[in-house]
Formats: sequence, C-alpha cells, structure tokens
Amino acid sequence: MSSDIENSKKRWEKEVLDPYLEHHPERKARFKNDLNHEIERLYTPKDLEKFNYDYLKDLGFPGEYPFTRGHTPNMYRSETPILRAYSGFGTPEQSNQRYKRLVELGAEEIQVAVDLPTQVGYNSDHIMSTGEVGKVGVAINSLYDMETLFKDVPLNKLRRVGMLGNSFGPAALALFIALGEKQGLKPEEYRVDLQNDILKEYVARGTYVYPIEPSINLTLDTVAYCIENMPHWNPISACVNHINGGGSGSSAGTAIALSNAQHYIENLLERGYHIDQIAPMISMFLDERDDVFTEIANLRATRKIWAEIIRAKYGATTRDAMGLKITAYGHGRETLQEPLNNIVRIALGTLGYFFGGAHSLFNGSYDEAASTPTEESVKIAVRTQQIIYNELGLSNTIDPLGGSYYLESLTCAIKNEIKDYLDEVESNGGPIACIHNGYISKLMTEGAIRRQKEFNEKQRVQVGVNILKDPNLVNETKPFRVDPYAEKQMIESLNFIKSKRSNKNVVKCLNEIKEAALEKENTVPTVLHAIKEYATLGEIADVFRSIYGEYKQKPSF
Amino acid sequence: MRKKRVLIGKIGLDGHDVGAKVVAAALRDAGMEVIYTGLRQTPESIVNTAIQEDVDAIGISILSGSHITLISRLIDVLKKEDADDIKVLVGGVIPEEDISLLIDKGVYQVFPSESEMDDIIACFETLDNEMSERI
Repeated sequence: MSSDIENSKKRWEKEVLDPYLEHHPERKARFKNDLNHEIERLYTPKDLEKFNYDYLKDLGFPGEYPFTRGHTPNMYRSETPILRAYSGFGTPEQSNQRYKRLVELGAEEIQVAVDLPTQVGYNSDHIMSTGEVGKVGVAINSLYDMETLFKDVPLNKLRRVGMLGNSFGPAALALFIALGEKQGLKPEEYRVDLQNDILKEYVARGTYVYPIEPSINLTLDTVAYCIENMPHWNPISACVNHINGGGSGSSAGTAIALSNAQHYIENLLERGYHIDQIAPMISMFLDERDDVFTEIANLRATRKIWAEIIRAKYGATTRDAMGLKITAYGHGRETLQEPLNNIVRIALGTLGYFFGGAHSLFNGSYDEAASTPTEESVKIAVRTQQIIYNELGLSNTIDPLGGSYYLESLTCAIKNEIKDYLDEVESNGGPIACIHNGYISKLMTEGAIRRQKEFNEKQRVQVGVNILKDPNLVNETKPFRVDPYAEKQMIESLNFIKSKRSNKNVVKCLNEIKEAALEKENTVPTVLHAIKEYATLGEIADVFRSIYGEYKQKPSF
Repeated sequence: MRKKRVLIGKIGLDGHDVGAKVVAAALRDAGMEVIYTGLRQTPESIVNTAIQEDVDAIGISILSGSHITLISRLIDVLKKEDADDIKVLVGGVIPEEDISLLIDKGVYQVFPSESEMDDIIACFETLDNEMSERI
C-alpha cells in the first residue's frame, strides 16, 4: 500500500505538479519554521513511516499513557482550559479594581503580575526600586497589600490563583496561605499556582537574587511544603516561555525546561518524596510563537516525553503524575505598529495551544507591545479565549488535529529533536553546568541574532512592519499609564503597616527564618509565621541575602 | 582612526536582555568595540564604566517602563561627572510620546521596539563623524 502511495506521488509530481509549477512557481525558495525544519509541500502516510509511527505506541488514548492526545480522558468536553489572566499594575487598590472586572468578565485564574522590586526582594522604598514601583506589575510589600489586592475577590470563587514568585517561592506561598486564612478559607477550598522556577531566571528573565544552589532549595521548600500540606496546589511550573523568547527555539527550550524539571524532581526524591507525590506538583509553561503547527506538535510531543521520563526513569504509576499539565501564553509576536492586528495574532496563537491540549491558558492583549494593557484590551483577551472555548465548533472533540499526516510527522520530528537536546544538556553536565558553562546562553544569543537577521532579510515577516507596510500609518493607541504616584503611595502604605504591626514580633520571626535556613530546615513555616506578622518581602529577602549573598551574572553576548 | 567604543547596558531591575545582546552583537559585527555591562546596573555604575572604558556612547535598553526616571538620573550623573560629551542612546519599550521627553532631557536618539538594526548601527557610527566635525 505504501509503495502504491509512493508510486502515485511520483506520477502526480511528474504529470500534474511539475507542469503546473512551470507557470506557477513557488512563492519562496524555502518553507520552514523557526526550528529550521524544512516544511514539505505535502504530507502523506509515507512521511510517518520514516518515524515508525504506530497509533497505539505514539498516540494511544487521552488520559492514559503516553498522554499524547491529552492529560485527561475527556479533555475540553468536560473542562475547558483554566482561563487565566496575568494582571497587576500600580498599587493593590488599582489592581483590585482590575481583578474584580476580570472576574466579572469570566476570568477563572488571577495570576498576579508583581513589579520588579517585589520579584527581586526590594521593598518599595529601596534605592533600587526607584522608578520601578508598580511598573511591570503590582507592588506587594506585605500581607497587607495582598488583603487589599483580593478585597471582594474570594479565592475559592476562582479555579486557581497565583503569582510568579520565582526567587521568593516560600514568601509567595505564605502570602496565599495567610490570605486564605484572612478570607476564612481552608487550603482545600482553593488552589494556588506558582511559577517558582528559579533555574530559568539565571539564563532568561533575570529576576534571580541569591546564588543558584540556595535558590533551588527555596524553590523546593515551597514544593515540599505543598506535598505535605496542599497536595492539590500547583507550586511550580517549569518554563520554556522565557528561554524560547530569548532565542533558544522551542525544542531546545523545552529540553532545557525538562532538564530543569528533572533537577527539581531528583532533589525532591532525595528529600524522601515519591515520584507520584512530586510529579503532580509540576506543570510546564510551554512556548512556540512562530508557527501554529509547531506549537501544537510541541505540546503533544512534550506530553509524551514527560510521560516516558516520569514512568521509565522515576517509576511513576498515576495519571496525575504522568499526565503533564501544560500552561501556555497565547500570542504571536505582537507588533507596536497597527496594534489591532494583534487581536488576530493572539487569537490564532491561543488557538494553537488550545488544539495542543493546554491545561491552562492566558493570552496577550493587543496593546501589550506598547505598555501595560488597558481595560478594553484585557477584555478582548478574555473574550478571545471564551470565543475559542464556546464558538465555531472548536471544542467538540479531543485532539481534533490528531491523525493529520503533517501534524503527526511534525510531532515525531519534534519529539526526537527535544530528546536530542536533552541528551546534549546531559552531556554538557546537566542544567546547572549548562548555566555556568554558557551552553544555554550561547544557544539563546545565537538564536536571537539569527531571528533578527531573518527579520532584517524579510525571511521572518510581520505584516505591517517589515512587509506590506501601510503608507498612511497613524498611531492608533494611547498607551496605558501606571499612576505616577503609585511609588509614593506604596512607600506611605509600607510605613503605615510598619507602624501598625508588632516590630518586636517581626524581628523574632525574622530570626526564626534565619535559624531555619542555617539548620537547613524547610523555610516555609517560619516565613509563613513572619508573613502573618506583616514582615515585608524585603525584610525576608534580606535575611536570606545575609546568609547566601547575591548572585552576580557574568555578562556576555 | 581608533575603533568606536560603545557601552551597552541595562539599568534597573529589568532582566529582559535579548534586545541589548542582539544590538551589542550587531555593533561588534559592524566593527565597534562593545562593552556589555549585563543586568541590574545603576546610573552611577554605568557612568563609572563609561568613563573608565572611555566610550563614545552609551546604549541603554529598558523594557520595564521606568525609562523616564532612570534615564533622567543617568543624564544627571553624566553631567555631574563632567562626562556629558558621551552620547546616550535608549532602546526598548518606549511609548512614542516619551521619545521627545527623553530627547529634551538630553538623550541623543531613541529606538523603540521594531526599529531597524541598520538605523541603530548607522546612528552609533555617525556619532563619531559629528564629534570629529566639532573638533
């Protein structure tokens, strides 16, 4: 049968295609994706033979090994992806208004975007915070700010709630535990989702504080505390997004994130936990923003590789451990020019992750290339997801593109490529060695330079930017402005809470954190105690700084 | 003629360094000496390095929206150190209406997202011509 296809294809090429091409030449010399895969003109069952493709071995059924078609048995027919909104700016009062609006519109998870000072452990009044307070996210100095931020937003009315907390996992977790208590909720009544992936911060995004080893311990204290006390929370998400955005390409980025995840897993195994307890804690934040089919294939391939590793290498037995929960951020290289076009890019990018079987989804807003999104653009972002989930027949069947010759062949190719990169990270000494020896940063910088070159040469195109420019372009948007007085207000409220709390208790709690850290005990209980006494995130970070020192990056390009 | 010397750096807490690195590499490939400072610099540390390295220009990348505060401080420190002959160029997420604000404060040129790399390189290259004309 396959030789029939091969012979027929040869005949078609000779008799039908070639004469046609003589008068209708192809538009480009090469058709490729961001991974430099040569995309063929047409895919047939022959292309799958190259990979020894086998339905049961490669796809199977959703919700069971190898999970290629989905992490749950009934996927979106039972539950649509968690509709996540990543939001925060200015003061907690200002962000609280936005959150209430988002919930009103149907957002199911609030992922708190915090400002850079909060992310790196500086209070709003620190010299390094000048000009940065409330800018890329909301400023959080203490539990007091969290209470304001979630006023009239009950945590149990959301499917999930969370924040990044990459270098301050224990404090981020403690803030949500304490906030839940203030709202009269038990941990089992709500679900917290933290990014808490410190390893990628040393190669992308850059919000590290302490050296690598103690930072990993803080990350894992957070996960271990959840294993013990809140096994249904999601305290860590291994991220591809920032590594791929930095230039690695999605396959290499996925391999780096998978090897980071394995590093966390192995440390938790050493702490005495079982893989069936550890793996359900870990989700992955995947990323591919250049090519929708590559996006879908990446998600399917990564779910399969995860299941293989978690079962074969670590002996997992449960669906919750082997079925990878994927988070993704739907977008497609938004442009500053003609920003309304970004609505289309974001919708299509989001659709790709939806077809790939993401567990939770958030998406960009059309004006985000210019500034923090406006309320209007955020509403469109939420509506984009809701339209995909409810209209146009997009959610009727599981893994609707499964079986496409193109998609299956791409999924097999990407799976092999990710595995090759995994071997390469391993042979270069593993994830931490690859931070120190420059393997990862070299991959990223070279990729970023390649993308820029392709953009300059118009092999990488953006409509309205480097092709099909509008000769009569007028700037359509007015950028959102964070309140310029936010910094002053945050410093005032910081001073207020310091005057209201028991400073004696705070000092005692901070000392307890220091003792726990020095004794190498899990730091979460003492951090939680301090948070409840309204210790500030800056004060808590200073305790760890006094023990661990700060990480200094070796600049290179 | 000596090679042009430029400093590329990141001020503040913003950790997104792809743009800074890509520009640094492009300027190096265009034949300039590039000093890259890496993340989390302060206006003071940038000016110190710029003076020590005797650069002709400073290129700062900021994506966090804190450009007005941080660049104003950088210009002030340059003046205080009597080093304001060093030109300051700014790139990153800079809303259009902020460009003239930055220029008024003394910034030589601003390159918002989606600027052409050739324009950026040309701008750094012509600094020298202008300086030699002045001499």
